Amino acid sequence: MNPMDELTLTPSLTVTHDTIQLIAKSHRARRVLISRVVTALCLAALVISAVPLVLLLVQLVTRGASQLNTAFFTTLPQSPTIMSPNLTGGVSNAIIGTIALTVYASLMAIPVGVFAGVYLGESTSKFASVLRIVAQTMAGAPSILMGLFGFSFVVKFLHVGFSAIAGSFALAVLMLPVIAISTELSIRGVPNTLREAGLALGAKPHTISTKIVIPSALTGIVTGCMLAVARAVGETAPVLLTIGGGYINQWRPLNPVSALPLSIYINAKSEYPSERAQVWGIALVLVLFVFVVSLSARVWAARKQKRNS
Amino acid sequence: MDQNITEANSPEVLVATESRTPGSVAMSLRNVAVSFNGKTAVRDCTFDVESKKVTSLIGPSGSGKTTLLRALNRLHDLTPGAKVNGQILLEGTDIYRGDMTATELRTRVGMVFQRPNPFPTMSIYDNVISGLRFNGVKKKSMLDEIAERSLRDAALWESVESRLKVSAGNLSGGEQQRLCIARALALDPEVLLMDEPTSALDPIATLRIEELLVTLKQRVTIIIVTHNMQQASRISDDCAFLLMGEDRAGELIEFSTTQKIFNDPKDSRTLDYTLGRFG
Amino acid sequence: MTVLLDNLKDDDLTENISAGPSRGWYHWLIVIASSLFAVVSIGFVGSILAYSFPAWGHAATLITGRGWQSPTGPYGGLAMITGTLETSLLALTFAVLVGLGTSIAIVFLVPRRLRTIVATAVELLAAVPSIIYGLWGFLVLAPWMLKSFDPFLAKLPFSSAIFGPSSQQFGPSLLLASVVLGVMILPTFVAISREVISAVPNDLVEASYSLGATRWQVIKDVVLPAAKIGLLGATFLSLARATGETVAVALVAGGVADVQFHLLQPGTSIAAWIATQFGEAQGNEISALMALGVLLMLINFSLSLISRSLVNRQRKALARV
Repeated sequence: MNPMDELTLTPSLTVTHDTIQLIAKSHRARRVLISRVVTALCLAALVISAVPLVLLLVQLVTRGASQLNTAFFTTLPQSPTIMSPNLTGGVSNAIIGTIALTVYASLMAIPVGVFAGVYLGESTSKFASVLRIVAQTMAGAPSILMGLFGFSFVVKFLHVGFSAIAGSFALAVLMLPVIAISTELSIRGVPNTLREAGLALGAKPHTISTKIVIPSALTGIVTGCMLAVARAVGETAPVLLTIGGGYINQWRPLNPVSALPLSIYINAKSEYPSERAQVWGIALVLVLFVFVVSLSARVWAARKQKRNS
Repeated sequence: MDQNITEANSPEVLVATESRTPGSVAMSLRNVAVSFNGKTAVRDCTFDVESKKVTSLIGPSGSGKTTLLRALNRLHDLTPGAKVNGQILLEGTDIYRGDMTATELRTRVGMVFQRPNPFPTMSIYDNVISGLRFNGVKKKSMLDEIAERSLRDAALWESVESRLKVSAGNLSGGEQQRLCIARALALDPEVLLMDEPTSALDPIATLRIEELLVTLKQRVTIIIVTHNMQQASRISDDCAFLLMGEDRAGELIEFSTTQKIFNDPKDSRTLDYTLGRFG
Repeated sequence: MTVLLDNLKDDDLTENISAGPSRGWYHWLIVIASSLFAVVSIGFVGSILAYSFPAWGHAATLITGRGWQSPTGPYGGLAMITGTLETSLLALTFAVLVGLGTSIAIVFLVPRRLRTIVATAVELLAAVPSIIYGLWGFLVLAPWMLKSFDPFLAKLPFSSAIFGPSSQQFGPSLLLASVVLGVMILPTFVAISREVISAVPNDLVEASYSLGATRWQVIKDVVLPAAKIGLLGATFLSLARATGETVAVALVAGGVADVQFHLLQPGTSIAAWIATQFGEAQGNEISALMALGVLLMLINFSLSLISRSLVNRQRKALARV
């Protein structure tokens, strides 16, 4: 086709510039008004979402802070009675229990999760793609199911009974997919040019993986593990069905232990105002821990990323 | 060659032109400066854009060409902290300080972007008439007529006539950019701003767009940002040459006819640039 | 939470250089770890299924039966199923309506400098343990609703038909559970939908503005259609989270196994019922609770898979633009 034929402008027929401008003008005020109204509604939605969440945090801090003192962290709980309704003691058992549960769960979940994640990141096999879907589904599974698993498998099937190990097993199952997925993503984030550079230098595949890929993905891997820990620490449902609870300082794997979220769950329903008040202290400690861990993980990862780029 | 096309087509095109005669001033810039959070990005831009001509903004990266272009249809309104100083007049009306709203201005001053950006969720037809829909044009016959006219003007009608309802994502890069041109033309703007419209295209698609622009200028005033010296010399009537000053802010060095900028520039820096000595 | 978000950003299956022919200790280490993960996942489903097995003899009762008679049975799960549906759908409606507005506000109205801070705050709130939301609902919201909100609701037309008589002894109710769930899944929904909305290429936004569109037209006609599938994925993911939520609902729903459509009356959900009943359960009741767990798993896994495939489709669609 001759471009000369194609590139002719069609003359304006009935619709002129002025017609369009006229129509546009007649609608403009209404369109702008609608847009303003909807914008206002969106801002209102922002406020509506912020209000309950801000209220929650403010109440958590104001009610919780007054509960925190040395005795809170170092002494065992005591049961208030009608004679002494303000006798609550501390929550040392729950703190020790939560630390024990978290450490055991991390010991189980981190090695398996990280190496499974490395596999997911490095392998293109069929098994890897199935496992990826499994991991994503497991990561979203309700935590009560982890509790049911811990109960049915460790407490019942293995006859271990209610114990720290049963609870930490349930928490480990919760952490596993989270760690595996974040590790996989960090591994995939390592540029292929680095791998190629390694190959070009004649490095063996596993040397590339251990000496190049994993070190460069390390920040992401550690961040993922920290976020998994932050999530496990606050989970109530899995430990509710598995750890048994108890009012003594206990950390041995095969014994029943207590945990901070469990204390909240139980004491929130207490008939003594003093115990209900103390719950805010536990909640504050828990939220502070979760915030500090997730925030430092994020800040660290962001800073590292900035330095690398 | 360019001149020939213009002349060959001018009689029938003149039917479509109302009050906008070639040679009159479509937009004029008076000491225009753009700053972001107090930091000046481009300043001292004073020149007149003549109606029905192609004016190119040229200069090395960082000279503020795109920033200046975006000020012309108030796209900087979307960036918090951006401030436009000086005067920009569209047919005598100050587009920032008059009673003209940004929405109105943008129906009169269209924009084509660097990367083809048709709306991916809309069909080809819906893309072309999206600007009309935004502005309240609902009459089917009117929409159909303008859609066809705009697609024809963008030299795209022949190839998409049979698949107007197909998603715009199915077109090639060059076709997508012509669709974006058609979309901007549908509102029948007085001025069409183009921000390096061919930089994401291959040489053949680039050439076709260039041919298109030369034809289009009979209907609409075109202001185009380009990196490509040859492109500027091929298609434009006037040229504004911008350069980054010592404080890293772009400024206008010289505005003249393309002929003068390339053959007889007043400023030695213009000569250096057009000869490819820097940038 | 974060994992899901990261997923959203980058899940393209880049062809990494595979481990090659070398089968050293390192290869076996990662193969064993992933096999262990697979075994745990199979064990997870298998173990719960196995212990639920005795209850499936009464499958019909479990799904359609009313009333939960411990420790003798029968164990009817209808109240828990309806409770789960009511609370999570109500919560979802709240979270999606408010959350969509919030995400739009964050992306289009909040100044850029504040945006990162707001986004981080949203993600932190999504990481707050659910027990905290439950606690707040139970100790703060429940008394407040009893005192101020319920009398207000009672004045509305059709109030008794929708809400039923307010139960004066309890603050906990299905409505309270829905509100707490809604507040709780809101950060989840906002975190994902904000991500999806801000992933819509800025070119499209600028293109529509430059055609004279108003802000709302840009959002309604260009941004939301482009983000549609991802937003649907966020909705399903939030629904999955709402249906699986346990302790918060256990604290604020009231823990009563009645099929209840009056929202101010106490009720329960599948997950909450498992949590509240498990302590005293023996024998057959444990199997029945495990079977409820299987139901929950089915619901959750299907919602997860749906949302996952939607989010994947969204990512591919945007990658093509």
